[in-house]
Amino acid sequence: MRTLLPLLLIWFAYPAMAMQENDLGTEVQRAEGKEVYDIKCAHCHGYEGDANAVATSYLRPAPRDFTSGNYKFRSTESGELPTTEDIKRSIRLGMPYTSMPPWDGILSENEITGLAYYLKTFEPAFEGPYGNPTIVDIPKAPSYSDDPVHLARGREIFEANQCTDCHGINGRGNGPSAPELVDDWGFPIRPADMTKRWTFRASATREDVYRTFMTGLNGTPMPSYLQTINEEEDRWALVDYVWSLSRDEPDYGTVVSVRGQTGELELGDELFADATGTYFPIVGQIIEPGRAFYPGVNGIRVKGVYNESEIAIELQWHDMTAETEGRNHPDTDVPVFDATEPDTLTGGWSDAVAVLLPSRTPEGLERPYFMFGDSKFPMTIWYTDLATDSAVVLTGQGAGRITDNGVELERTAAYEDGVWTVRLKGSRTLGDYRMQESAFVPISFTAWDGFNAERGNKRGLSAWYHLYLEPMETESAALPMAKWFLIVLVAEVAIVGLVRFRARRRKKT
Amino acid sequence: MNLFVLLGIAAVMVLIQQVLTRWIQLNRIAWLGIWWVALWAAFSYGINPPLPNSIIVLFMAIITIALMAYLSADNEELEEARQSIVRFMVAQEYRIALVIVLLVIPAAVAAWTYASMNEAPQPPSSGRTIHPPPPSSITFAGNSIDLATANNPYRELEHTDEAAFAAHVANGRRIYFQNCFYCHGDNMQGAGMFAHGYDPLPANFNDATTIAMLQESYLFWRIAKGAPGLPSESTPWSSAMPAWELFLTEEEIWDVILFLYEYTGYEPRAQGMPH
Repeated sequence: MRTLLPLLLIWFAYPAMAMQENDLGTEVQRAEGKEVYDIKCAHCHGYEGDANAVATSYLRPAPRDFTSGNYKFRSTESGELPTTEDIKRSIRLGMPYTSMPPWDGILSENEITGLAYYLKTFEPAFEGPYGNPTIVDIPKAPSYSDDPVHLARGREIFEANQCTDCHGINGRGNGPSAPELVDDWGFPIRPADMTKRWTFRASATREDVYRTFMTGLNGTPMPSYLQTINEEEDRWALVDYVWSLSRDEPDYGTVVSVRGQTGELELGDELFADATGTYFPIVGQIIEPGRAFYPGVNGIRVKGVYNESEIAIELQWHDMTAETEGRNHPDTDVPVFDATEPDTLTGGWSDAVAVLLPSRTPEGLERPYFMFGDSKFPMTIWYTDLATDSAVVLTGQGAGRITDNGVELERTAAYEDGVWTVRLKGSRTLGDYRMQESAFVPISFTAWDGFNAERGNKRGLSAWYHLYLEPMETESAALPMAKWFLIVLVAEVAIVGLVRFRARRRKKT
Repeated sequence: MNLFVLLGIAAVMVLIQQVLTRWIQLNRIAWLGIWWVALWAAFSYGINPPLPNSIIVLFMAIITIALMAYLSADNEELEEARQSIVRFMVAQEYRIALVIVLLVIPAAVAAWTYASMNEAPQPPSSGRTIHPPPPSSITFAGNSIDLATANNPYRELEHTDEAAFAAHVANGRRIYFQNCFYCHGDNMQGAGMFAHGYDPLPANFNDATTIAMLQESYLFWRIAKGAPGLPSESTPWSSAMPAWELFLTEEEIWDVILFLYEYTGYEPRAQGMPH
């Protein structure tokens, strides 16, 4: 009902709208939509469109409840219903980094149209006067400009409109109000991390960003700025500023290459200044009890430096808030996931991070089971609870079978403007083997977001990747290059000389 | 096939033959060289997915032999080609060109040496065994299941009791969307919301080479035992497929198998058919 008030106002303001027919499709189209819906959509969105289905409680963000008429992504004014084209667009493109996949190419254009009409039947308002919403004009984007004056203007607008309250001063989704945000259903909701454009739910072209600013996201705390940012130039300045904060696609890598140096490794900015970072995706642990269907961390950037005996690793990730109170441990008990009794978001869990490595020399491609190792192949866990100021070495043989080796690691940790930077330093010898130069060592990562009640096996994790120790001294290429140059040249000259010699002799005779 | 590249190569060849030869007389060796480069470009850039380097090297070796055989098929032409090479090495008018060629070849070798020494090292690659050989039997919750003869006990309901069959499929659907679809995806294409975090990528059940050519007992084995149950010769070990025997009952696994076939529209390979 909350959405009805602005609708009513708009209704009185634009009586001409009543003249238009509502776009509800034909009986046949809706029936075709229902057929597709019951097979492809009902397990998440419910047979009645009320988001009450077998998978619903396993999904965060929760699937849309179509009976509410509340659609986040629209080309219409704030609080209004979407157009058919808006619904089709959401079906076609899906929502990146959620369980809603893009259906483009899987369903035909006709099926998608039928679906959109069928979805409208879940909300009677589509049949009434509100079924003809006011469309916000989204102009074609002028070409992107990174002119500093233009971007500074964008930044000014970003701050003047309190975008920073939720999205943070640098757009990392870590504003002061971010932790308290809930949607219209009371579910916690996180502001977008503007430095990760690929996670934008409503897609990430500049027109998409413009549309989100102008229409707002119904059912969420994101308002419309249609009435507040009036100048076309200012709107695009804001869009371009947001655009400037992120790369297009995530630069996910598979190997973190680590430079060698002689002498002490002093954990600090300087040590990692020249190291190249590699970014790894983090996904939820959804298999063993304590399933994290929507982890708070979705990527981690890793750097490293080593010397004769030790290796230092830097881990950086975005986190909405730093939980430096409470406790955490890979062995902490987590309730078995129960859809009827969701894990309550009680505080008391701190942020934590771990680097996971095999405990013995991997033969071929063999490695510990990626969860917490297994009895046949244990893993070494460099773990730090960010509520403490120490880091420890653990041995994992599976969840619930984690033992403390009694070894402490050197550690530094800092949280600044939405970014955790944790540095660990430990021995190059793991269990019974030593990380060799020019060798690839399997490595994986785990991050616990205490705010998300992640602890124990409820966590964000990565698959196995590789740590590579660059040789301390690389052989110069100059000598082999000179050698081969000369060998080939001498051979050529010999051939030409021989040919000329014979040619001359023949001429003489 | 990368049609645009192939057409481009053909166009350049035609252009050389029709236009360039009006000004420059190309001898036989130059022509064979042009052919060699054109074929190399076609193999390297004209085929999608790209051929492995070793295959291209093999093809080019065969082509080199074929072109030389072509050249030597006619004694007169061979002699002509030989003479033009000798002329290039001996005649005064080619002196500068000869010096350039003599320097360019070793320089190229040196550059290749540099590149091969500075190549980024590659991590050990985990080749994927698509259908690892199953053991003859597995133990599930204390009971032995013979994989060669095991049948989906609910499959026959399809013909005897439609309502009961539908209930099993519905249960399979519930299990799939509560457990599997985060990786294998909504449409069973291996593109779930967490798929990007894994290598090897989750299996795509729509692909005709996965469940469509397997028996249901094989799927039972893969689901029940997961990556930890792979035979040692069937890497990769980095597969994240869990052993679902720890979390699902025997009936639940058979139900989700029914659902996989129902949703993709494939039929399981019948027992007794050659693998």
